[in-house]
Amino acid sequence: MLRYLARRLGQALLVVAGVVVLTFAVMRVVPGDPAVAFAGPKATPEQLAEARERFGLDDPLPAQLLAYVRDLVTGDWGISLRTRQPVRDDLALAFPASLELVGAALLLAIAVGIPLGVLAARYKTKFPDFGVRLGSMLAVSVPVFWLALALQTLFAGALGWFPVAGEYDAELDTTSPLTLWTNITAVDALITGNWPILTSTLHHLVLPALVVAAYPAGVIAQMTRAALIEEAGQDHARMGRALGFGETSVLTRFALRPALNPVLSLIALVFAYALVNGFLVEAVFNWPGLGRYAAESIRSLDTPAIAGVTLLVALVYVLANLVVDLLQGLVDPRVRAR
Amino acid sequence: MRWHKRLLVAGVAGVLALTASACAGGQVRGAGGTPQPQASGGTPAAAQANDRTFVYVPNLDVVSDWDPATSYSNEIVALSNIYEGLTRYDSETRQAEPRLATEWTSSEDGRRWTFKLRQGVKFHSGATMDAEAAKKAIERTIEKKGGAAYIWDPVEEIEAVDAGTLEFTLKYAAPLDLIASSGYAAWIYDVDAVDADGKTTAGTGPYTIDSWQKGKETELTLKAFEDYWGGWKPEQYKKVAFRVTPEITTAWQLLQRGEVDFVQRLNPQLFQQARSADGVQTAESPSFQNLLVLFNTADGPTRDPKVRQALQLAIDYDGLVAALEGSAQKASGLVPQGLLGHTPGMEPEQDLATAQELLAEAGYGPDNPELTLSLTYAQGDEDQKLLVTLLSSALKQLNVTLQARPMTWGAQWDLGKKKGQDILVMYWYPDYPDAYSWFLNVFRSTDEPQLNLSYLKNADIDAAIDKLPELTATDKSAASDDYTDLQKKIIEEQAAVAVPYVQKYQRALSANVRGYVDNPAYPNVVFFYDLTLAS
Repeated sequence: MLRYLARRLGQALLVVAGVVVLTFAVMRVVPGDPAVAFAGPKATPEQLAEARERFGLDDPLPAQLLAYVRDLVTGDWGISLRTRQPVRDDLALAFPASLELVGAALLLAIAVGIPLGVLAARYKTKFPDFGVRLGSMLAVSVPVFWLALALQTLFAGALGWFPVAGEYDAELDTTSPLTLWTNITAVDALITGNWPILTSTLHHLVLPALVVAAYPAGVIAQMTRAALIEEAGQDHARMGRALGFGETSVLTRFALRPALNPVLSLIALVFAYALVNGFLVEAVFNWPGLGRYAAESIRSLDTPAIAGVTLLVALVYVLANLVVDLLQGLVDPRVRAR
Repeated sequence: MRWHKRLLVAGVAGVLALTASACAGGQVRGAGGTPQPQASGGTPAAAQANDRTFVYVPNLDVVSDWDPATSYSNEIVALSNIYEGLTRYDSETRQAEPRLATEWTSSEDGRRWTFKLRQGVKFHSGATMDAEAAKKAIERTIEKKGGAAYIWDPVEEIEAVDAGTLEFTLKYAAPLDLIASSGYAAWIYDVDAVDADGKTTAGTGPYTIDSWQKGKETELTLKAFEDYWGGWKPEQYKKVAFRVTPEITTAWQLLQRGEVDFVQRLNPQLFQQARSADGVQTAESPSFQNLLVLFNTADGPTRDPKVRQALQLAIDYDGLVAALEGSAQKASGLVPQGLLGHTPGMEPEQDLATAQELLAEAGYGPDNPELTLSLTYAQGDEDQKLLVTLLSSALKQLNVTLQARPMTWGAQWDLGKKKGQDILVMYWYPDYPDAYSWFLNVFRSTDEPQLNLSYLKNADIDAAIDKLPELTATDKSAASDDYTDLQKKIIEEQAAVAVPYVQKYQRALSANVRGYVDNPAYPNVVFFYDLTLAS
């Protein structure tokens, strides 16, 4: 087990090292002088020289890479050229809001996707199956940006059922100030019993979470259906039928549990995907998360910030995979032997 | 692995992420913030304006630098309401008007300026604003050398003659009243109270910080500075909020629902809708930002003035402005309307027949070998892209192929400094309201190109440019004539540039807001103190 653990950790570190080198390369390969982004579009030669010196841009590339890695290891993710704040501080502000949105979206996706997958498997090749497959295909293929605008225009603009944008009503900052512990608004509101902010946040979450949930819900529904159909043909399911259980009972009592194995692995994998997919949704709904930060960073060619976002997303992805791998290895000796 | 263990995996990943974000440690968010205005859906406006919050919608971060000395970005909107300069520019009168200085005089040679300061003005810190404080502020800004501090380059010495009199001695004549009205680097502040973290402010303006939450949707709220020297009337807005909204369509929906009061810019289609929408009013005015198409006068085919003139004539100026659907107006010369030196009657026209003749004289055109020209323009700028598309199409008829490359400004500028293109497209705007900015930066000779990206080198033009500050300071009428002559030399004789259009501001705001006037000297700034709520 220790060898397996060391191998997996080594692989994860290699991936992270690769991402670090890649983000550094992207920062330096992108045309244009980062000093201009920092010093301004009309910067004098002196101001440009000062910015270059400050960020070590005149050093040889290997020296810059070494300094970049050294800084990362010591927790210094660089200074944003746009906000002029440490990138790590900026990310610490933006990441919790994204986590809140993606977390809510994944809960929604699981709550909707798994029952729909079961429904489709139960009525395989019949109308409900056709409907679920069509719906999940649409959910997977529709561009999130378009879906976000469409839902916003209809349910917030025309019908007025939900807020157009924002995380919660700003007036609550005055009437019910929130004490922060995790920086995730809904969690903090729950912990501290701040019901006005909790209800407002949940109300504001509905539309953006629905949009972010569309892709994972579609994928989960399809995966659940496929896994259930496969499990329904196995011996234990046939035994259930032979004992006189109805088809619905066979699926939910005997086939569903083993079928959920690949589905739950999938959820860990779509987490990072949903995080990035949510960037555009955040822009439409003014959600104060990584998406807005990333979009503004890209627009102003803020390379340290872009690299910071890339690295953070990569770390989340690697971490989620690592945990899944380790736990799989823990309970299944065949995985460790691979 | 059993399914519940997999659920545990997902849970662990979530907890790890939560832990990573758990660094707030019990801070209270938003305490001291100001409330948003009520949605206007059927609710009548309150009788007392001081109860309502004016909500401004920017599309980017509100503040990235709180230091009034070095600030040189979007924060101009907020800081212009927190800080004040000695003067403020009025684009109607084309003059600097009193602000912290009530009157000023300059010596005949324009090298000594004396400003009389307003009495009884307090900084937000409680300190008194006097000549010594103003001197310290300007000297600190000069020493910091950040942002637009260069505007004070002409200053040799500042003297606080007495509490109410500030005297500047200049190295060379310059219009210091205009310089002092700059939107950047000209603010007077209490140097001992500057706070880079944005918790307190050190200005004299009508508003001060209520709350600043970096990265949040409502990033900044301002509240009235009760001791403001101008005093307060009940109908003025005493609370202001900045609600960051990157998407134009979202901003439009928020405005329609009455959740916000001012949207910086809509696209032309939404602006058309806004014109006839209930509860919304619109405002349009030309900016001080114009588009420059700079021709390489030093190298390549465009070194020939005939080719440059032909290119000027190939641009479909009217078609371009029409296609921009109201977001731009045709330019007349280099200097936009509202600045000293603006010259009506210099509007360019497309003339493909003459362009063809000029190209033929230069050895190009339909009956000659194909001419290929390289052009760079701003990546992501749809207006510039439209210009390039129209120009490319027109030039095709003249057997000229345009190789256009969209680039980030950094990359475009790097290439430009190496004279790496035939045509460079860029916007220009002045940091303070003086047309001199175009001539000094873009058309005065330099040994190494910086912003002179047409690489024009002409001793007569240089001499005329060098005379402009003194003339502007001492004889505005003569300065105006010289500006006109210079524009004719640069555009018509040298054909170093074509100026297709001046950008127009298209604002949408709540119908119940009164007193809004766009001041192009302060891009996107709303002076909230000037606004009132209609009863």
